[in-house]
Amino acid sequence: MEVVLDVKGLSKQYKKGVYASEDVTFQVRKGEIFALIGPNGAGKTTTIRMISTLLKATEGDAVVDGHSILTEPEKVRECITYLPDEAGAYKTMRGTEYLRFMAGIYAKKKEDIEEFVKRGSEISELGDRLNDKISNYSRGMQRRLLLARAIMSKPALAILDEPTSGLDIINALEIRRMIKKLSAEGMSFLLSSHNMLEIEYVSDRVGIISKGHLLEVGTSKELVEKYGVTNLEEVFEKVVTVH
Amino acid sequence: MKFSILFKKELKEMLSVTTIATMFLMVFVLIFAGKAMSKAVDDVKKDATTITICDQDETDFTKAMIKAIEDDKDTEVRKVDIDSEDYTGVLNSTDHKSIVIIPKGFTEQVMKHETATIKYAQRITSTATFSNANTGSQKALGVLQSGIKSTIYSQSQLDKDTVKQLEDPIKLEEYTVVSDKQDKVESAKLTSIISSQSMFIPIVMFLLIMYSSQMIMNAISTEKLDKTLETLLSSPVSRLSVITAKMLSAAIVAALQAAVYMFGMSRMMSGITGDISSDKNTEEVLKSLGLSMSVGDYILVGLQMFMTILIVLSISIILGALAKDAKSAQTLQLPIMLLAMVPYFVTMFIDVNSASPVIKYVTYAIPFTHAFVANQNVTFGHYDVYTFGLIYQFIVLCIFLFLALRIFMSDKIFTLTLGGGKKKSGGLFGKKKPSYDDE
Repeated sequence: MEVVLDVKGLSKQYKKGVYASEDVTFQVRKGEIFALIGPNGAGKTTTIRMISTLLKATEGDAVVDGHSILTEPEKVRECITYLPDEAGAYKTMRGTEYLRFMAGIYAKKKEDIEEFVKRGSEISELGDRLNDKISNYSRGMQRRLLLARAIMSKPALAILDEPTSGLDIINALEIRRMIKKLSAEGMSFLLSSHNMLEIEYVSDRVGIISKGHLLEVGTSKELVEKYGVTNLEEVFEKVVTVH
Repeated sequence: MKFSILFKKELKEMLSVTTIATMFLMVFVLIFAGKAMSKAVDDVKKDATTITICDQDETDFTKAMIKAIEDDKDTEVRKVDIDSEDYTGVLNSTDHKSIVIIPKGFTEQVMKHETATIKYAQRITSTATFSNANTGSQKALGVLQSGIKSTIYSQSQLDKDTVKQLEDPIKLEEYTVVSDKQDKVESAKLTSIISSQSMFIPIVMFLLIMYSSQMIMNAISTEKLDKTLETLLSSPVSRLSVITAKMLSAAIVAALQAAVYMFGMSRMMSGITGDISSDKNTEEVLKSLGLSMSVGDYILVGLQMFMTILIVLSISIILGALAKDAKSAQTLQLPIMLLAMVPYFVTMFIDVNSASPVIKYVTYAIPFTHAFVANQNVTFGHYDVYTFGLIYQFIVLCIFLFLALRIFMSDKIFTLTLGGGKKKSGGLFGKKKPSYDDE
């Protein structure tokens, strides 16, 4: 199966001997939803930021859709979208205006802009509220808008850090369904989340990261069987406590 | 296309309705202030031609002197009667600002060739400059002195020419020299015109520095804190485009602000100086001495102002990147404010070029100073100082741009913070440990 993201020995060293992330290796296939889970300070965000070309890796490499984050970061940014945890949008803009602004950045040609905006508007399901100033949006509405922004350009890989954080159950469910639908259409996702239930429901494969090291990779089912437990939460507990 | 999208977004954010409204409001306030001051100047002029006299001596001599003042068509004489030495009643109950009192025995003193005494009382109602401007007292004293002199001369039986010579023994012809040019004009009058016309440049410059700095710091720190910067920098645009769009739009808005403020201030200043310097020759004299600025001079001053804005913006980008939260972003503006205050005050009170070497070099080491003195240097032909300043500013700009780009192009834009809390500042070159977020 075609590999969209190939992470090989990715490390981030801030100080000699102090690694935020060390020798992380995994792959994300086309149309796959891969989730990175781990406790606070485990190195999830650092790994995601390196793949998003925001931070420079000190060792290793990651190849996105055939482009290295070290040698071709501009090409990588054309293939990905990144939604940071607790990210905001420009509050002085209206919803549509924000989508159009981001579409203008991601569009390769002018004609794509309107197509992206149309898709983004549909995904966000914000209707007429898209004409309102973002400063008047609730947290849930803002998150939907940001998610729509991350998906509207149909990137090869969408990197979503805590995609449903701050959302109510209904909104979170809708977003999970949307992610599943888009992955079925061939879009790949790299997620990060604290919510084990969400991960178990939405992801195809899971990577458990702790203290900067990727300790386990597999489907939820495989991991549950391997550790002889009943759910991913217990797998997570066992893996993190053992290491 | 992507740069223009970024640039439009930055410009739109910075040039908000509030910003435009503030600019118009500022011009309105300045014009209003100018009009108010213009009225005050008119009042001062009117006061100077109105003399209130109280003649307690009431002799033929004093009456003749008052008649002489009344004969002057430019002067309005108002007579009041006061019996005591308490002048508060008259000054508080009437609109008279001052009274010249000719006391009893004045004529007798003159006739005895003694120094005659005149009394003068002025009412002060405020500490404002214009409200306490000198009224008609000087004119009244001049006429009274002239009357006394005439009386003495006539008693001494001097001929007309001798009287005329004694009246005006010396005639002063004043010349003002500027570089290699000179003109027959009082230097005091000239400096008062120049300084009043150029006093607004430091004010505009200070406002400009603070405003542009605040604008870019807010733009950077808000993007960083809202994590919109992460979204933007992970999108297919170069970091150079992001930083350039921000700097360019901030520079444009700041330049627009400068133009609007300068227009407002010039309207205000013309309200103050317009009537005082309504002498038709003033402009010609300024031109003949090379003190009026040509289009080329304005371009040179504008160039140095623009260079200063660019330096402010590059320093502010660094400071904005260090901001931990909105409050620390405000605190981090303090170094800019302090650096701008030094040239603001120094150039307002002293000539930096002729100051002691320590003051001169320390003041000129602040890159903003050169814009504060640009118009002086250009007007007085100190082109060597101007050129040196421009080269120095260019070097400083390159250094700060390099540092700003280094931060923006590296991980440091996300890891550097300053201002307490758990996060610690990191060195720009990675010598110190940077802080980092992670989950």
